[in-house]
Amino acid sequence: MKNSIPHRNLFLFLGLGLIILFLINLGVGSVFIPIAEIISGLFGGEFSKKSWEVIIYQYRIPKAFTAVLAGIALAVSGIQMQTFFRNPLAGPYVLGISSGAGLGVAILVLTGSMLGLSLFAGGVGGWAVVIAATIGAILVLLLMSLTAWKVKDSMTLLIVGLMFGSLAGAIVSVLAYFSDADQLKIFTVWSMGSLGGTTISQLKIFGLAVLIGLIPVLVFIKSYNAMLLGEAYAESMGVNIRQLRWAMIISTGVLAGSATAFCGPIAFIGIAVPHMARIIFKTADHGVLIPASLLLGAVVLLICDSISQLPGSAQSLPINAVTSLVGAPMVIWLILKRNFSKEF
Amino acid sequence: MSRRDIILQAEGLSIGYGSKSQAAMIAEELSFKLEKGQLTCLLGPNGVGKSTLIKTILGQIAPLKGSIKMNGKPLLNIGYKELSKSIAVVLTEKVRLGNLTVRDLVALGRTPHTNWLGSLSKQDQLIIDRAIRLTHISYIQDKVLSELSDGQLQKAMIARALAQDGDLLILDEPTAHLDLINRFEVMQLLRNIAHEEEKAILLVTHDLDIAIDTADEFWLMQCGLPLVIGTPEDLIVNGQINLLLPSERLSFDKMTGKVLTSSDVNYPLMEGGDYLIFWMKLFLRKIHSTKVNSISKISIIDDPFSIYIEKQENHFRFETFNDFKSFLKD
Repeated sequence: MKNSIPHRNLFLFLGLGLIILFLINLGVGSVFIPIAEIISGLFGGEFSKKSWEVIIYQYRIPKAFTAVLAGIALAVSGIQMQTFFRNPLAGPYVLGISSGAGLGVAILVLTGSMLGLSLFAGGVGGWAVVIAATIGAILVLLLMSLTAWKVKDSMTLLIVGLMFGSLAGAIVSVLAYFSDADQLKIFTVWSMGSLGGTTISQLKIFGLAVLIGLIPVLVFIKSYNAMLLGEAYAESMGVNIRQLRWAMIISTGVLAGSATAFCGPIAFIGIAVPHMARIIFKTADHGVLIPASLLLGAVVLLICDSISQLPGSAQSLPINAVTSLVGAPMVIWLILKRNFSKEF
Repeated sequence: MSRRDIILQAEGLSIGYGSKSQAAMIAEELSFKLEKGQLTCLLGPNGVGKSTLIKTILGQIAPLKGSIKMNGKPLLNIGYKELSKSIAVVLTEKVRLGNLTVRDLVALGRTPHTNWLGSLSKQDQLIIDRAIRLTHISYIQDKVLSELSDGQLQKAMIARALAQDGDLLILDEPTAHLDLINRFEVMQLLRNIAHEEEKAILLVTHDLDIAIDTADEFWLMQCGLPLVIGTPEDLIVNGQINLLLPSERLSFDKMTGKVLTSSDVNYPLMEGGDYLIFWMKLFLRKIHSTKVNSISKISIIDDPFSIYIEKQENHFRFETFNDFKSFLKD
């Protein structure tokens, strides 16, 4: 199975696709704005309607950037987890990492009233949410690493992940029961998942968090390649497993945690996108797969968001519903095929 | 052999798990050395501590007592990264990735030598080419691992270890799960690598006959006994090889190098070529018929093959072992 299309061309194609999809994403919504109009508007021209300019700058550009960042964050945490746990079904959502992040946010938001904090307003609140979600995500990741160390079977690990997710969900329910109505409303809206809720200042925080989360991945690209052969072989090739485990936990925690903090739990991007990258690029080299997942994650989430806007109607779907509709069948297909080795 | 060629040396080594105060000792007083250009086979029953010994040599667990030195330096003082440039392994776990080609796999062997991105230099490519050539896997280098047979995969794993370019190669049961021809090929390959590439190779195996055929040195491990080290031929002639067969029912046949089940069969008088008598004995042991006791003489003739039996003044002739078997079973 020698690759027929050079990777450079695939990357060019993906990059181009990303730009085009970004522009389309800016155009679709309850009000359709022609792409040509957007391009001229962005490059110094005038929008023919003043309201369009407001919509683009105030709403759609932050939303599109949020989609790009969340796509990158989820896909890159997914591929790290899949290689580290040597489990093709690993991902931030299935292994309960998103639930852990959600629990962090729930504790912050639902108990926030007791501390008198107003959380979703302004920059400090933004960081607080990111940190709470990241801590929640890292805690679940630590538990999962411990479990993975004991349990080698990929299906068992998956079930344990689902249990952690349920557990976190149950704690959130208990918290919700005791919290007041306003806080509960904020949390409920958050938990439905949305790309549209980020302000420019939150976007800056998100961008920075993603950047921080990407650094450990880049440092350990070579170690991830060695991990393809399993821990024992990786160790024999000079990989410090303990270091790599911490790098994976911190990176995944920050990436999945911040994505969950700003967009709510988004399902299946983390698990499905790395497989798409493997299928398209036909390689196991993380030097290729990580940038590929990064680009593909952004592309896929932009597509999902554009679909969720239901072009031509005033309604929109929750983003989580769309990613599940796309991702869940892919995961089912992977399980039915069972022969993960073909792509993994 | 000059001292320079000794890669690894252990003195009074005790191995096992746990701390010094509360240790689970697995084997003690092991002394050995590994030299360049030698193929060493470690033999012993399951659970005797072969894997523990290998983990100790790999620096993954600390020895409980004694010293183990690599190129004169205590093993525990050598870091992971440094050690990975000297020792490469082939383990028993199966690696079957559908996205990794054989060449990519071999290239992974360069991991300890490349930069943070793992990019390969001209020099690295040459070493990879060489490893592929030495293991005769050029014809499959673009195949992905999930398409390989067990034998091909094992050779690819050996090529990967070779590309790592250490002085010492350690293999854990490299011939397990392989068919007969691949067992021979893999062991012959390892022997050539040891001799021609001047590597020290240590491998764990249960294939006694192939090991006798290929190894320069045997390490025999048996519960509670010191490590017995020697040239296979010496160990066979002086009978120490029987250490591997503590059971009364098994014995090592010095003539053929085979492990035989001992039996209480009283063989009748036999005539015929050596090899014919050998197979007749095996046949009689397996058939285990009381009728054999009443046979006074067996003569076997090679060409045309026939078996003559003298039994209580009667004479019989059979053209195959199978016919003889039917006779004994009646």
